[in-house]
Amino acid sequence: MDYAIQQTLNALSFGAEYALIALGLAIVFSIMGLVNFAHGEVVAFGGYSMVITATLLTSNPWIIMVGVMFACVLTAVVLERVAFRTVRGADLTTGLLTAFGVSIVLQNLFLLLGSPRAMAATQFIFLDKTLTIGTIRVSSLQIYETLATFVAIVVLMLFLRKTPLGIAMRAAALDFEMVRLCGFRANRVIAGAFAISGLLAGLACIFIMARRGSVQPHMGFDPVLVAFVACVIGGFGSLPGAVLGGFLLGIAEVTILIILPQSAGGLSSAAVFFLVALVLIWRPDGILSPAREKGDKI
Amino acid sequence: MMSYFNSDQRKGLIGSALLSLMILAIVGAYYIWGETYHARILYATFVNLLVVVGLQVFTGNANITGFSHAAFMGVAAYIAAICVTPAAMKMISLPDAPWGLNTFELSALASATIALVITGLMGLATGLIFVRLSGVGVTITSIALLVIVHSIFLHRTDIFKGNQALFGIPKIFDLSHITGLVILAIFVARLFRESSVGLQLRASSDDEAGARSIGVDVRRVRLIAWVMSTCFFATAGVAYSFFLGTISARPFYFNFVFLTVAMLILGGLRSVTGAVFGTLLITIGLELVRWLETGPVLIGVKLPQMLGLSGLLLGVVIVAVMAFLPNGIMGHREIEDLLHRKRKKGRKNDVSSYDSQA
Repeated sequence: MDYAIQQTLNALSFGAEYALIALGLAIVFSIMGLVNFAHGEVVAFGGYSMVITATLLTSNPWIIMVGVMFACVLTAVVLERVAFRTVRGADLTTGLLTAFGVSIVLQNLFLLLGSPRAMAATQFIFLDKTLTIGTIRVSSLQIYETLATFVAIVVLMLFLRKTPLGIAMRAAALDFEMVRLCGFRANRVIAGAFAISGLLAGLACIFIMARRGSVQPHMGFDPVLVAFVACVIGGFGSLPGAVLGGFLLGIAEVTILIILPQSAGGLSSAAVFFLVALVLIWRPDGILSPAREKGDKI
Repeated sequence: MMSYFNSDQRKGLIGSALLSLMILAIVGAYYIWGETYHARILYATFVNLLVVVGLQVFTGNANITGFSHAAFMGVAAYIAAICVTPAAMKMISLPDAPWGLNTFELSALASATIALVITGLMGLATGLIFVRLSGVGVTITSIALLVIVHSIFLHRTDIFKGNQALFGIPKIFDLSHITGLVILAIFVARLFRESSVGLQLRASSDDEAGARSIGVDVRRVRLIAWVMSTCFFATAGVAYSFFLGTISARPFYFNFVFLTVAMLILGGLRSVTGAVFGTLLITIGLELVRWLETGPVLIGVKLPQMLGLSGLLLGVVIVAVMAFLPNGIMGHREIEDLLHRKRKKGRKNDVSSYDSQA
């Protein structure tokens, strides 16, 4: 029983982390059709901003947390302005490759200006304690992570349903031209989407850093790869799909780790990606995406 | 003989011949002026060229980006290496190999054939799945394939040695072999582009619904192109392991994928000439930057060591090309189109269009 609860929490917290990053990808994709592979570098920059804030200003973790969120939002918005505005409305491959290019540029900037080796950033480690509830021992970080993700999803949902900008964003996912005709500025809607994706990246960054305690130039790549997969499983551009995909991946990963013998531990990501390939063969456009006629989207 | 080809295909033959002359000129320049270490750079460039031309066959003609080419290349490299390495050497390098993999050795030709056939079959098996998907589906599934193959390389250290090197592969190829292969690849890729299957594929990438409506079997032509490009990657993999003497899993992953895709998009993915030009330009650029990266002394000034500069510039090139030159340097044009227009309008226009990028 203890074991089951621990593993469930494992699955939930993995899933929460994937879902946070996947949501950041999905909200940008739903509005401007861009697969933002540089999202992982936004997360990594959050990690570097920790190092910068801690050496320049203060080592108070709560202030650093605010700083991380701010840094991630700022990076996401700046990237939109500098790199992604020029490929707005271009086809999917163009956007994807631009995002890859931006991601390579940022990684190498971290390498040039930071350090090729891991830099210590341990301010958030205190979030990770072992709690004992009755006979069950769980990690406090996993609980925070799961709760924070649920709160973030609820807040995001309220924002998208209740505020004018949120409603404009949902409408933009369906018909961007119509939203512009209704008097919303295209730039503001898209910048808003990037800001939200940055905020989600900041949240994810805090939990990733609490777990790792160090920051590396390439650390954003693996999470965003998994988040990308989560989006694709759920149906690209669908926000509920991104959340569903994230949690499904978390569950799949933990299940595979349990089922596979210890000696085959290195094959867990191969097994996850194999399952993903199977899902895509079953539903090429993802689980929660409606069937769409080809040739309509011109 | 010439009447066997239509006019586009005859143009294709001329274009391939021109590109081959360019390749031969580069190799000739090396033999006259080059130093020994240039041979290694040139060989690596030509292996990349094989991969990029192979990418052009599928990605360029179908306009669907795949990222799994490094996986196919790795599979072929490992198969060829394991088959061709002498059994005595394999007892040392692969002592725990299962299925008696370290007890036999084959000739170079047999090894290369086996590598090509197995990788080709793998291409067929994956292709049957890939052609059912559309656009972003192919991209993600190809990434999945890359990750799966890579983690198998890393995990089965008894066969692949993981991140350690698999050593003792005899050196079979030299520069003349790879030059021959590159020229063959250019001709095959170009003739495929101008063949009826290639034309149907290009039509389907411009307007899939339209192509279907005039009777193009989109899945069939995509499958043919996919398997063909897999064979290009396999050839590159075999050439890679037959030259270097050691291979490891690390080069067959994302960095190599990005590098080759950047080469293709810089040149322009719709044309074979673009693939060739993109590869050469990025290779020359990277060699220059790598030299800067080590902190050389330039006009009496000692430059600082700057790790990551080459990667940075690679990324900037990708972003800049996508933003300002989304069709690459060549766009739809092939090399003979350049010459043709030069004769008409004088040299100015066309030369400036790619010189400004160089």
